[in-house]
Amino acid sequence: MAGSAIVVFFLAVGLFGPYLAPYPARSYEALYAGEAGDPPSWKHPFGVEQSGIDVFSETIHGTRNDLYVGLAASILTTLLGVALGAVAGYYKGRIGEIVLGITQVFFVIPFLLLILLFARVFSILVFKGLGLTLIVLIIAFFGWSSVSFVVRGETLKIKEMEFVQASRSIGASSWRLLFRHIVPNILSPVIVITTLNIAGFILTEVVVSFLGFGDANTSTWGLILNEGFSYIRTRWWVCVFPGLACVFCVLGFNLMGDGLSDALNPRLRE
Amino acid sequence: MIPVFLGVAILTYAVGNAAGSPLDLIRIGLRNPSPAVIEAMRHYYHLDRPVYERFLLWLWQLLQGNLGVSQSGRPVAQQIGAWALTTLELQVISLVLAVAIGVPVGVYSAQHQYSKSDYVITSTAIFGYSMPVFWLGIILIIVFSFTLGWLPSSGAHGLSFVWWGNPLLDHLAHLILPVTVLTYVDLATFVRLVRANMLEVLRQDYILAARSSGLSERTVTYRYALRNAISPVITIIGLSFGAALGGAPATETTFSWPGLGYAFAQAALNLDIPLVQGITVVITIMVLAANLIMDLMYAVLDPRVRID
Repeated sequence: MAGSAIVVFFLAVGLFGPYLAPYPARSYEALYAGEAGDPPSWKHPFGVEQSGIDVFSETIHGTRNDLYVGLAASILTTLLGVALGAVAGYYKGRIGEIVLGITQVFFVIPFLLLILLFARVFSILVFKGLGLTLIVLIIAFFGWSSVSFVVRGETLKIKEMEFVQASRSIGASSWRLLFRHIVPNILSPVIVITTLNIAGFILTEVVVSFLGFGDANTSTWGLILNEGFSYIRTRWWVCVFPGLACVFCVLGFNLMGDGLSDALNPRLRE
Repeated sequence: MIPVFLGVAILTYAVGNAAGSPLDLIRIGLRNPSPAVIEAMRHYYHLDRPVYERFLLWLWQLLQGNLGVSQSGRPVAQQIGAWALTTLELQVISLVLAVAIGVPVGVYSAQHQYSKSDYVITSTAIFGYSMPVFWLGIILIIVFSFTLGWLPSSGAHGLSFVWWGNPLLDHLAHLILPVTVLTYVDLATFVRLVRANMLEVLRQDYILAARSSGLSERTVTYRYALRNAISPVITIIGLSFGAALGGAPATETTFSWPGLGYAFAQAALNLDIPLVQGITVVITIMVLAANLIMDLMYAVLDPRVRID
Protein backbone atom coordinates (compact mmCIF):
# COMPACT_ATOMS: atom_id res chain seq x y z
CA MET A 1 0.00 0.00 0.00
CA ALA A 2 2.61 2.47 1.10
CA GLY A 3 4.82 1.12 -1.62
CA SER A 4 2.32 1.91 -4.33
CA ALA A 5 1.91 5.43 -2.99
CA ILE A 6 5.65 5.97 -3.11
CA VAL A 7 5.86 4.52 -6.60
CA VAL A 8 3.05 6.72 -7.87
CA PHE A 9 4.80 9.72 -6.36
CA PHE A 10 8.03 8.94 -8.12
CA LEU A 11 6.30 8.19 -11.39
CA ALA A 12 4.62 11.58 -11.18
CA VAL A 13 7.93 13.27 -10.46
CA GLY A 14 9.47 11.41 -13.35
CA LEU A 15 6.74 12.32 -15.78
CA PHE A 16 6.06 15.92 -14.83
CA GLY A 17 9.07 16.94 -12.85
CA PRO A 18 11.42 17.84 -15.66
CA TYR A 19 8.95 20.43 -16.85
CA LEU A 20 8.61 21.97 -13.41
CA ALA A 21 12.19 21.78 -12.25
CA PRO A 22 13.87 25.10 -11.57
CA TYR A 23 16.84 24.43 -13.81
CA PRO A 24 17.18 22.42 -17.02
CA ALA A 25 19.09 19.16 -17.01
CA ARG A 26 22.85 19.42 -16.58
CA SER A 27 22.77 23.17 -16.64
CA TYR A 28 25.52 25.17 -15.05
CA GLU A 29 23.44 28.32 -14.58
CA ALA A 30 24.07 28.48 -10.90
CA LEU A 31 27.75 28.81 -11.69
CA TYR A 32 27.13 32.01 -13.60
CA ALA A 33 25.05 33.32 -10.75
CA GLY A 34 28.01 32.80 -8.48
CA GLU A 35 26.26 30.16 -6.44
CA ALA A 36 28.45 27.16 -7.25
CA GLY A 37 29.02 24.98 -4.26
CA ASP A 38 26.33 26.52 -2.07
CA PRO A 39 24.81 24.54 0.75
CA PRO A 40 21.03 23.91 0.77
CA SER A 41 18.98 27.08 0.86
CA TRP A 42 15.56 28.28 -0.19
CA LYS A 43 16.75 28.93 -3.69
CA HIS A 44 18.51 25.61 -4.02
CA PRO A 45 16.70 23.12 -1.78
CA PHE A 46 19.33 20.43 -2.13
CA GLY A 47 22.29 22.68 -2.58
CA VAL A 48 24.56 23.24 -5.55
CA GLU A 49 27.41 21.12 -6.81
CA GLN A 50 30.95 22.31 -7.11
CA SER A 51 30.50 22.67 -10.86
CA GLY A 52 27.35 24.74 -10.60
CA ILE A 53 24.71 22.10 -11.18
CA ASP A 54 21.65 22.49 -8.98
CA VAL A 55 21.21 19.23 -7.11
CA PHE A 56 17.44 19.54 -6.70
CA SER A 57 16.78 19.90 -10.43
CA GLU A 58 19.28 17.23 -11.19
CA THR A 59 17.52 14.84 -8.83
CA ILE A 60 14.23 15.52 -10.57
CA HIS A 61 15.67 14.99 -14.04
CA GLY A 62 17.44 11.94 -12.78
CA THR A 63 14.16 10.47 -11.56
CA ARG A 64 12.89 10.21 -15.07
CA ASN A 65 16.05 8.61 -16.41
CA ASP A 66 16.44 6.16 -13.58
CA LEU A 67 12.81 5.13 -13.78
CA TYR A 68 13.26 4.63 -17.49
CA VAL A 69 16.21 2.34 -16.93
CA GLY A 70 14.48 0.40 -14.18
CA LEU A 71 11.21 -0.10 -16.01
CA ALA A 72 12.65 -0.78 -19.45
CA ALA A 73 15.32 -3.15 -18.19
CA SER A 74 12.81 -5.01 -16.06
CA ILE A 75 10.28 -5.42 -18.83
CA LEU A 76 12.92 -6.55 -21.29
CA THR A 77 14.38 -8.96 -18.77
CA THR A 78 10.96 -10.41 -18.08
CA LEU A 79 10.20 -10.87 -21.76
CA LEU A 80 13.49 -12.64 -22.34
CA GLY A 81 13.21 -14.68 -19.17
CA VAL A 82 9.65 -15.80 -19.83
CA ALA A 83 10.38 -16.73 -23.41
CA LEU A 84 13.47 -18.75 -22.59
CA GLY A 85 12.13 -20.17 -19.36
CA ALA A 86 8.94 -21.37 -20.99
CA VAL A 87 10.96 -23.05 -23.72
CA ALA A 88 13.25 -24.66 -21.17
CA GLY A 89 10.32 -25.95 -19.18
CA TYR A 90 8.10 -27.02 -21.99
CA TYR A 91 10.48 -28.84 -24.30
CA LYS A 92 11.84 -31.62 -22.18
CA GLY A 93 14.37 -33.02 -24.59
CA ARG A 94 17.51 -31.63 -26.15
CA ILE A 95 16.23 -28.10 -26.66
CA GLY A 96 15.11 -27.81 -23.07
CA GLU A 97 18.44 -28.99 -21.76
CA ILE A 98 20.44 -26.67 -23.96
CA VAL A 99 18.40 -23.66 -22.92
CA LEU A 100 18.70 -24.71 -19.29
CA GLY A 101 22.45 -24.96 -19.68
CA ILE A 102 22.67 -21.51 -21.20
CA THR A 103 20.55 -20.17 -18.36
CA GLN A 104 22.90 -21.69 -15.82
CA VAL A 105 25.91 -20.12 -17.48
CA PHE A 106 24.33 -16.70 -17.44
CA PHE A 107 23.21 -17.20 -13.86
CA VAL A 108 26.70 -17.67 -12.49
CA ILE A 109 28.28 -14.76 -14.32
CA PRO A 110 29.30 -12.02 -11.90
CA PHE A 111 26.52 -9.65 -12.79
CA LEU A 112 27.98 -6.27 -12.06
CA LEU A 113 31.46 -6.99 -13.35
CA LEU A 114 30.41 -7.94 -16.84
CA ILE A 115 27.86 -5.17 -16.99
CA LEU A 116 30.63 -2.69 -16.22
CA LEU A 117 32.92 -4.25 -18.78
CA PHE A 118 30.34 -4.36 -21.54
CA ALA A 119 29.13 -0.84 -20.78
CA ARG A 120 32.63 0.56 -20.93
CA VAL A 121 33.64 -1.28 -24.08
CA PHE A 122 30.48 -0.73 -26.02
CA SER A 123 29.99 2.87 -25.14
CA ILE A 124 33.49 3.84 -26.12
CA LEU A 125 34.39 1.66 -28.98
CA VAL A 126 31.35 0.28 -30.69
CA PHE A 127 28.01 1.92 -30.08
CA LYS A 128 28.36 5.57 -29.40
CA GLY A 129 25.38 7.70 -28.71
CA LEU A 130 22.98 5.16 -27.30
CA GLY A 131 23.21 6.52 -23.82
CA LEU A 132 21.12 4.87 -21.17
CA THR A 133 19.45 2.49 -23.59
CA LEU A 134 22.77 0.73 -23.81
CA ILE A 135 22.71 0.16 -20.07
CA VAL A 136 19.14 -1.14 -20.34
CA LEU A 137 20.12 -3.63 -23.02
CA ILE A 138 23.17 -4.81 -21.14
CA ILE A 139 21.27 -5.28 -17.90
CA ALA A 140 18.63 -7.28 -19.70
CA PHE A 141 21.29 -9.33 -21.43
CA PHE A 142 22.72 -10.43 -18.11
CA GLY A 143 19.69 -10.38 -15.91
CA TRP A 144 17.24 -12.69 -17.57
CA SER A 145 18.50 -15.90 -16.07
CA SER A 146 16.88 -15.58 -12.64
CA VAL A 147 13.50 -14.92 -14.21
CA SER A 148 14.07 -17.84 -16.52
CA PHE A 149 14.66 -20.28 -13.70
CA VAL A 150 11.44 -19.33 -11.95
CA VAL A 151 9.46 -19.47 -15.17
CA ARG A 152 10.88 -22.85 -15.98
CA GLY A 153 9.86 -24.19 -12.59
CA GLU A 154 6.36 -22.88 -12.91
CA THR A 155 6.06 -24.17 -16.46
CA LEU A 156 7.07 -27.64 -15.35
CA LYS A 157 4.35 -27.56 -12.74
CA ILE A 158 1.62 -26.21 -14.98
CA LYS A 159 2.52 -28.53 -17.80
CA GLU A 160 1.32 -31.56 -15.87
CA MET A 161 -1.99 -30.08 -14.89
CA GLU A 162 -5.19 -31.51 -16.20
CA PHE A 163 -6.40 -28.66 -18.27
CA VAL A 164 -3.15 -28.64 -20.21
CA GLN A 165 -3.35 -32.38 -20.76
CA ALA A 166 -6.95 -31.99 -21.88
CA SER A 167 -6.05 -29.28 -24.29
CA ARG A 168 -3.21 -31.30 -25.72
CA SER A 169 -5.40 -34.38 -26.11
CA ILE A 170 -7.77 -32.56 -28.40
CA GLY A 171 -4.86 -31.62 -30.60
CA ALA A 172 -3.85 -28.13 -29.59
CA SER A 173 -0.53 -27.06 -31.08
CA SER A 174 2.45 -26.31 -28.88
CA TRP A 175 2.24 -22.58 -29.54
CA ARG A 176 -1.37 -22.48 -28.49
CA LEU A 177 -0.64 -24.40 -25.36
CA LEU A 178 2.21 -22.16 -24.45
CA PHE A 179 0.54 -18.85 -25.04
CA ARG A 180 -3.07 -19.47 -24.17
CA HIS A 181 -2.63 -21.82 -21.25
CA ILE A 182 0.78 -21.86 -19.68
CA VAL A 183 1.85 -18.26 -19.82
CA PRO A 184 -1.32 -16.74 -18.34
CA ASN A 185 -1.02 -19.06 -15.39
CA ILE A 186 2.54 -18.25 -14.50
CA LEU A 187 1.82 -14.54 -14.47
CA SER A 188 1.55 -14.04 -10.70
CA PRO A 189 5.13 -14.87 -9.70
CA VAL A 190 6.35 -13.19 -12.87
CA ILE A 191 4.61 -9.92 -11.96
CA VAL A 192 6.18 -10.02 -8.50
CA ILE A 193 9.63 -10.68 -9.91
CA THR A 194 9.25 -7.91 -12.47
CA THR A 195 8.37 -5.38 -9.78
CA LEU A 196 11.22 -6.43 -7.54
CA ASN A 197 13.52 -6.34 -10.55
CA ILE A 198 12.62 -2.72 -11.20
CA ALA A 199 13.99 -1.94 -7.75
CA GLY A 200 17.09 -4.03 -8.30
CA PHE A 201 17.87 -2.62 -11.71
CA ILE A 202 17.50 0.97 -10.53
CA LEU A 203 20.10 0.12 -7.90
CA THR A 204 22.28 -1.49 -10.56
CA GLU A 205 22.04 1.58 -12.74
CA VAL A 206 22.99 3.80 -9.82
CA VAL A 207 26.05 1.68 -9.12
CA VAL A 208 27.07 1.65 -12.78
CA SER A 209 26.78 5.42 -13.07
CA PHE A 210 28.46 5.97 -9.73
CA LEU A 211 31.54 4.09 -10.85
CA GLY A 212 31.68 6.21 -13.97
CA PHE A 213 30.49 3.67 -16.50
CA GLY A 214 27.21 5.29 -17.37
CA ASP A 215 26.39 8.01 -19.80
CA ALA A 216 27.99 11.27 -18.75
CA ASN A 217 25.47 13.42 -20.57
CA THR A 218 22.27 12.03 -19.11
CA SER A 219 21.45 13.02 -15.58
CA THR A 220 20.97 10.09 -13.27
CA TRP A 221 21.29 9.73 -9.51
CA GLY A 222 24.43 7.69 -9.88
CA LEU A 223 26.04 10.43 -11.93
CA ILE A 224 25.41 13.06 -9.25
CA LEU A 225 26.80 10.70 -6.64
CA ASN A 226 29.86 10.19 -8.80
CA GLU A 227 30.43 13.91 -9.17
CA GLY A 228 29.82 14.58 -5.53
CA PHE A 229 31.88 11.76 -4.15
CA SER A 230 35.15 13.65 -4.20
CA TYR A 231 33.62 16.41 -2.14
CA ILE A 232 31.82 14.57 0.61
CA ARG A 233 34.03 16.09 3.21
CA THR A 234 33.07 19.63 2.34
CA ARG A 235 29.87 19.49 0.32
CA TRP A 236 27.99 16.60 1.79
CA TRP A 237 24.64 17.60 0.34
CA VAL A 238 25.57 16.54 -3.19
CA CYS A 239 25.71 12.91 -2.24
CA VAL A 240 23.17 12.69 0.52
CA PHE A 241 20.00 13.97 -1.14
CA PRO A 242 20.05 12.13 -4.47
CA GLY A 243 20.94 9.02 -2.51
CA LEU A 244 17.89 9.54 -0.31
CA ALA A 245 15.73 9.91 -3.41
CA CYS A 246 17.13 6.68 -4.77
CA VAL A 247 16.57 4.86 -1.48
CA PHE A 248 12.94 5.91 -1.29
CA CYS A 249 12.23 5.11 -4.90
CA VAL A 250 13.71 1.65 -4.59
CA LEU A 251 11.98 1.21 -1.24
CA GLY A 252 8.69 2.01 -2.92
CA PHE A 253 9.16 -0.64 -5.55
CA ASN A 254 10.33 -3.19 -3.00
CA LEU A 255 7.31 -2.57 -0.80
CA MET A 256 5.05 -2.80 -3.79
CA GLY A 257 6.67 -6.05 -4.84
CA ASP A 258 6.27 -7.49 -1.36
CA GLY A 259 2.67 -6.40 -1.26
CA LEU A 260 2.00 -8.01 -4.61
CA SER A 261 3.73 -11.15 -3.45
CA ASP A 262 1.53 -11.38 -0.38
CA ALA A 263 -1.58 -10.66 -2.36
CA LEU A 264 -0.90 -13.14 -5.14
CA ASN A 265 0.43 -15.94 -3.01
CA PRO A 266 -2.32 -16.97 -0.61
CA ARG A 267 -0.27 -19.69 1.02
CA LEU A 268 1.96 -17.24 2.81
CA ARG A 269 -0.77 -14.90 3.84
CA GLU A 270 -0.51 -14.13 7.52
CA MET B 1 30.62 -26.55 -13.49
CA ILE B 2 33.13 -26.83 -16.34
CA PRO B 3 30.74 -25.79 -19.10
CA VAL B 4 29.69 -22.84 -16.99
CA PHE B 5 33.27 -21.77 -16.53
CA LEU B 6 33.95 -22.17 -20.23
CA GLY B 7 30.89 -20.12 -21.04
CA VAL B 8 32.05 -17.29 -18.83
CA ALA B 9 35.55 -17.51 -20.27
CA ILE B 10 34.18 -17.25 -23.78
CA LEU B 11 32.04 -14.25 -22.89
CA THR B 12 34.89 -12.44 -21.21
CA TYR B 13 37.28 -13.08 -24.03
CA ALA B 14 34.69 -12.15 -26.62
CA VAL B 15 34.01 -8.78 -25.12
CA GLY B 16 37.67 -8.17 -24.58
CA ASN B 17 38.13 -8.81 -28.25
CA ALA B 18 35.07 -6.84 -29.24
CA ALA B 19 36.82 -3.90 -27.68
CA GLY B 20 39.01 -4.24 -30.68
CA SER B 21 42.20 -6.12 -30.89
CA PRO B 22 44.79 -5.09 -28.34
CA LEU B 23 46.41 -3.11 -31.12
CA ASP B 24 43.46 -0.79 -31.47
CA LEU B 25 43.42 -0.19 -27.78
CA ILE B 26 47.10 0.56 -27.66
CA ARG B 27 46.72 2.87 -30.62
CA ILE B 28 44.17 4.79 -28.68
CA GLY B 29 46.73 5.18 -25.94
CA LEU B 30 49.84 5.94 -27.93
CA ARG B 31 49.75 8.68 -30.46
CA ASN B 32 51.99 7.59 -33.29
CA PRO B 33 53.46 4.18 -32.70
CA SER B 34 56.24 3.36 -35.13
CA PRO B 35 55.80 0.38 -37.45
CA ALA B 36 58.41 -1.52 -35.49
CA VAL B 37 56.39 -1.20 -32.30
CA ILE B 38 53.22 -2.27 -34.08
CA GLU B 39 54.97 -5.29 -35.51
CA ALA B 40 56.34 -6.28 -32.14
CA MET B 41 52.92 -5.93 -30.53
CA ARG B 42 51.32 -7.89 -33.31
CA HIS B 43 53.73 -10.72 -32.79
CA TYR B 44 53.39 -10.61 -29.02
CA TYR B 45 49.62 -10.83 -29.04
CA HIS B 46 49.66 -13.46 -31.78
CA LEU B 47 47.36 -11.33 -33.86
CA ASP B 48 48.39 -13.16 -36.98
CA ARG B 49 46.41 -16.16 -35.79
CA PRO B 50 42.62 -16.43 -36.06
CA VAL B 51 40.34 -15.62 -33.13
CA TYR B 52 39.57 -19.08 -31.87
CA GLU B 53 43.25 -19.97 -31.81
CA ARG B 54 43.93 -16.90 -29.76
CA PHE B 55 41.14 -17.84 -27.39
CA LEU B 56 42.51 -21.33 -26.87
CA LEU B 57 45.98 -19.92 -26.35
CA TRP B 58 44.61 -17.57 -23.73
CA LEU B 59 42.70 -20.36 -22.02
CA TRP B 60 45.73 -22.60 -21.98
CA GLN B 61 47.87 -19.91 -20.45
CA LEU B 62 45.13 -19.28 -17.94
CA LEU B 63 45.07 -22.86 -16.79
CA GLN B 64 48.78 -22.75 -16.28
CA GLY B 65 48.39 -19.77 -14.05
CA ASN B 66 49.60 -17.16 -16.49
CA LEU B 67 46.98 -14.48 -16.67
CA GLY B 68 48.76 -12.26 -19.10
CA VAL B 69 50.39 -8.90 -18.75
CA SER B 70 48.39 -5.81 -17.99
CA GLN B 71 48.78 -2.53 -19.75
CA SER B 72 50.94 -1.18 -17.01
CA GLY B 73 53.46 -3.87 -17.89
CA ARG B 74 53.17 -5.92 -14.74
CA PRO B 75 51.95 -9.51 -14.90
CA VAL B 76 48.33 -9.80 -13.95
CA ALA B 77 48.67 -12.86 -11.80
CA GLN B 78 51.17 -11.14 -9.56
CA GLN B 79 48.85 -8.24 -8.83
CA ILE B 80 45.73 -10.28 -8.34
CA GLY B 81 47.01 -12.35 -5.45
CA ALA B 82 47.12 -9.55 -2.90
CA TRP B 83 43.89 -8.03 -4.12
CA ALA B 84 42.03 -11.30 -3.96
CA LEU B 85 42.97 -11.83 -0.34
CA THR B 86 41.90 -8.33 0.59
CA THR B 87 38.54 -8.70 -1.10
CA LEU B 88 37.95 -12.15 0.34
CA GLU B 89 38.76 -10.87 3.79
CA LEU B 90 36.11 -8.20 3.57
CA GLN B 91 33.47 -10.39 1.99
CA VAL B 92 33.93 -13.41 4.21
CA ILE B 93 33.89 -11.42 7.44
CA SER B 94 30.75 -9.58 6.32
CA LEU B 95 29.02 -12.77 5.27
CA VAL B 96 29.83 -14.57 8.51
CA LEU B 97 28.60 -11.64 10.59
CA ALA B 98 25.48 -11.29 8.48
CA VAL B 99 24.57 -14.94 8.96
CA ALA B 100 25.51 -14.94 12.64
CA ILE B 101 23.34 -11.93 13.37
CA GLY B 102 20.69 -12.45 10.72
CA VAL B 103 19.56 -15.96 11.54
CA PRO B 104 18.83 -15.42 15.25
CA VAL B 105 17.16 -12.10 14.53
CA GLY B 106 15.04 -13.71 11.84
CA VAL B 107 14.04 -16.50 14.18
CA TYR B 108 13.15 -14.02 16.91
CA SER B 109 11.15 -11.99 14.47
CA ALA B 110 9.21 -15.03 13.33
CA GLN B 111 8.48 -16.11 16.87
CA HIS B 112 7.11 -12.71 17.82
CA GLN B 113 5.18 -12.02 14.68
CA TYR B 114 3.17 -8.80 14.58
CA SER B 115 4.82 -7.46 17.70
CA LYS B 116 6.43 -4.06 17.77
CA SER B 117 9.94 -5.47 17.56
CA ASP B 118 8.97 -7.60 14.59
CA TYR B 119 7.70 -4.50 12.86
CA VAL B 120 10.89 -2.58 13.60
CA ILE B 121 13.07 -5.43 12.44
CA THR B 122 11.17 -5.95 9.20
CA SER B 123 11.15 -2.25 8.37
CA THR B 124 14.86 -1.97 9.00
CA ALA B 125 15.45 -4.99 6.81
CA ILE B 126 13.44 -3.69 3.87
CA PHE B 127 15.19 -0.36 4.19
CA GLY B 128 18.44 -2.25 4.18
CA TYR B 129 18.11 -3.93 0.86
CA SER B 130 16.60 -0.87 -0.75
CA MET B 131 19.65 1.25 -0.44
CA PRO B 132 22.68 1.25 -2.68
CA VAL B 133 25.46 -0.25 -0.61
CA PHE B 134 27.86 2.55 -1.23
CA TRP B 135 25.39 5.28 -0.31
CA LEU B 136 25.16 3.90 3.19
CA GLY B 137 28.93 3.86 3.14
CA ILE B 138 29.02 7.51 2.18
CA ILE B 139 26.62 8.45 4.95
CA LEU B 140 28.62 6.53 7.53
CA ILE B 141 31.85 8.10 6.30
CA ILE B 142 30.34 11.55 6.65
CA VAL B 143 29.11 10.83 10.13
CA PHE B 144 31.88 8.76 11.60
CA SER B 145 34.96 9.92 9.77
CA PHE B 146 34.43 13.54 8.95
CA THR B 147 32.14 14.74 11.66
CA LEU B 148 33.15 12.58 14.56
CA GLY B 149 36.60 11.50 13.51
CA TRP B 150 36.23 8.14 15.21
CA LEU B 151 36.99 5.90 12.26
CA PRO B 152 39.17 6.09 9.16
CA SER B 153 37.45 6.69 5.89
CA SER B 154 39.52 4.90 3.31
CA GLY B 155 42.01 2.22 2.57
CA ALA B 156 42.88 -0.90 4.42
CA HIS B 157 45.83 0.46 6.34
CA GLY B 158 46.59 3.92 7.60
CA LEU B 159 49.79 5.76 6.90
CA SER B 160 52.40 4.47 9.31
CA PHE B 161 49.62 2.50 10.96
CA VAL B 162 48.61 5.41 13.14
CA TRP B 163 45.06 4.46 13.92
CA TRP B 164 44.52 2.96 17.36
CA GLY B 165 48.09 2.07 18.05
CA ASN B 166 49.50 -1.05 16.42
CA PRO B 167 49.11 -2.38 12.85
CA LEU B 168 46.58 -5.03 13.75
CA LEU B 169 44.24 -2.61 15.47
CA ASP B 170 44.81 -0.19 12.65
CA HIS B 171 43.62 -2.74 10.14
CA LEU B 172 40.70 -3.50 12.39
CA ALA B 173 39.76 0.15 12.52
CA HIS B 174 39.79 0.31 8.76
CA LEU B 175 37.68 -2.82 8.56
CA ILE B 176 34.84 -1.56 10.71
CA LEU B 177 33.03 0.77 8.31
CA PRO B 178 33.10 -1.38 5.16
CA VAL B 179 32.13 -4.46 7.12
CA THR B 180 29.25 -2.63 8.79
CA VAL B 181 27.90 -1.51 5.46
CA LEU B 182 28.20 -4.88 3.75
CA THR B 183 26.87 -6.77 6.76
CA TYR B 184 23.82 -4.54 7.05
CA VAL B 185 22.82 -5.06 3.46
CA ASP B 186 23.37 -8.83 3.57
CA LEU B 187 21.64 -8.98 6.92
CA ALA B 188 18.51 -7.45 5.49
CA THR B 189 18.11 -10.27 3.01
CA PHE B 190 18.80 -13.00 5.53
CA VAL B 191 16.49 -11.66 8.20
CA ARG B 192 13.58 -11.49 5.82
CA LEU B 193 14.28 -14.88 4.35
CA VAL B 194 14.73 -16.65 7.67
CA ARG B 195 11.64 -14.97 9.02
CA ALA B 196 9.53 -16.04 6.05
CA ASN B 197 10.76 -19.62 6.17
CA MET B 198 10.39 -19.89 9.91
CA LEU B 199 6.84 -18.58 9.74
CA GLU B 200 5.96 -21.28 7.28
CA VAL B 201 7.67 -24.04 9.24
CA LEU B 202 6.23 -22.98 12.58
CA ARG B 203 2.74 -23.55 11.24
CA GLN B 204 3.39 -27.19 10.58
CA ASP B 205 1.82 -29.93 12.62
CA TYR B 206 5.00 -31.55 13.77
CA ILE B 207 5.97 -28.37 15.58
CA LEU B 208 2.72 -28.51 17.48
CA ALA B 209 3.37 -32.15 18.22
CA ALA B 210 6.88 -31.41 19.47
CA ARG B 211 5.61 -28.64 21.69
CA SER B 212 2.82 -30.70 23.15
CA SER B 213 5.20 -33.54 23.94
CA GLY B 214 6.82 -31.29 26.47
CA LEU B 215 10.02 -30.18 24.77
CA SER B 216 11.25 -26.74 25.71
CA GLU B 217 10.50 -23.90 23.36
CA ARG B 218 14.19 -23.50 22.71
CA THR B 219 14.62 -27.11 21.58
CA VAL B 220 11.55 -26.95 19.41
CA THR B 221 12.71 -23.81 17.72
CA TYR B 222 16.30 -24.61 17.14
CA ARG B 223 16.46 -28.32 16.73
CA TYR B 224 13.30 -28.85 14.74
CA ALA B 225 12.01 -25.70 13.12
CA LEU B 226 15.30 -24.11 12.20
CA ARG B 227 16.76 -27.32 10.83
CA ASN B 228 13.97 -27.48 8.34
CA ALA B 229 13.84 -23.81 7.54
CA ILE B 230 17.52 -23.49 6.90
CA SER B 231 17.87 -25.19 3.53
CA PRO B 232 16.73 -22.36 1.27
CA VAL B 233 18.80 -20.04 3.42
CA ILE B 234 21.94 -22.00 2.59
CA THR B 235 21.26 -21.61 -1.11
CA ILE B 236 20.73 -17.92 -0.71
CA ILE B 237 23.92 -17.60 1.32
CA GLY B 238 25.84 -19.10 -1.57
CA LEU B 239 24.13 -16.82 -4.08
CA SER B 240 24.63 -13.84 -1.82
CA PHE B 241 28.31 -14.48 -1.63
CA GLY B 242 28.47 -14.65 -5.40
CA ALA B 243 26.48 -11.46 -5.72
CA ALA B 244 28.58 -9.72 -3.08
CA LEU B 245 31.76 -10.67 -4.88
CA GLY B 246 30.29 -9.36 -8.08
CA GLY B 247 29.16 -6.19 -6.36
CA ALA B 248 32.51 -5.55 -4.79
CA PRO B 249 33.47 -2.67 -7.09
CA ALA B 250 31.00 -0.24 -5.56
CA THR B 251 31.84 -0.85 -1.92
CA GLU B 252 35.54 -0.97 -2.51
CA THR B 253 35.53 2.24 -4.53
CA THR B 254 33.68 4.04 -1.78
CA PHE B 255 36.17 3.03 0.86
CA SER B 256 39.18 2.86 -1.46
CA TRP B 257 39.55 -0.68 -0.24
CA PRO B 258 42.41 -2.15 -2.30
CA GLY B 259 40.66 -5.27 -3.47
CA LEU B 260 39.59 -6.96 -6.69
CA GLY B 261 36.51 -4.82 -7.15
CA TYR B 262 38.41 -1.57 -6.91
CA ALA B 263 41.08 -2.86 -9.26
CA PHE B 264 38.42 -4.03 -11.68
CA ALA B 265 36.70 -0.65 -11.76
CA GLN B 266 39.97 1.16 -12.41
CA ALA B 267 41.07 -1.35 -15.01
CA ALA B 268 37.78 -1.23 -16.88
CA LEU B 269 37.85 2.55 -16.92
CA ASN B 270 41.35 2.44 -18.35
CA LEU B 271 40.37 -0.33 -20.77
CA ASP B 272 43.16 -2.49 -19.42
CA ILE B 273 41.73 -5.59 -21.00
CA PRO B 274 44.12 -8.32 -19.81
CA LEU B 275 43.68 -7.18 -16.22
CA VAL B 276 39.93 -7.08 -16.60
CA GLN B 277 39.82 -10.54 -18.09
CA GLY B 278 42.07 -11.89 -15.37
CA ILE B 279 40.00 -10.44 -12.55
CA THR B 280 36.73 -11.66 -14.08
CA VAL B 281 38.10 -15.16 -14.36
CA VAL B 282 39.35 -15.14 -10.78
CA ILE B 283 36.07 -13.84 -9.40
CA THR B 284 34.12 -16.39 -11.42
CA ILE B 285 36.24 -19.16 -9.97
CA MET B 286 35.55 -17.83 -6.47
CA VAL B 287 31.83 -17.72 -7.15
CA LEU B 288 31.82 -21.26 -8.51
CA ALA B 289 33.83 -22.45 -5.52
CA ALA B 290 31.38 -20.79 -3.14
CA ASN B 291 28.46 -22.46 -4.89
CA LEU B 292 30.18 -25.82 -4.68
CA ILE B 293 30.76 -25.39 -0.96
CA MET B 294 27.15 -24.45 -0.50
CA ASP B 295 26.00 -27.52 -2.38
CA LEU B 296 28.13 -29.70 -0.15
CA MET B 297 26.82 -28.07 3.01
CA TYR B 298 23.31 -28.50 1.70
CA ALA B 299 23.94 -32.21 1.32
CA VAL B 300 25.31 -32.41 4.85
CA LEU B 301 22.43 -30.58 6.47
CA ASP B 302 19.55 -32.09 4.56
CA PRO B 303 19.57 -35.89 4.57
CA ARG B 304 17.12 -36.02 1.71
CA VAL B 305 19.70 -34.61 -0.62
CA ARG B 306 22.79 -36.64 -1.34
CA ILE B 307 25.55 -36.02 -3.82
CA ASP B 308 24.73 -37.85 -6.98
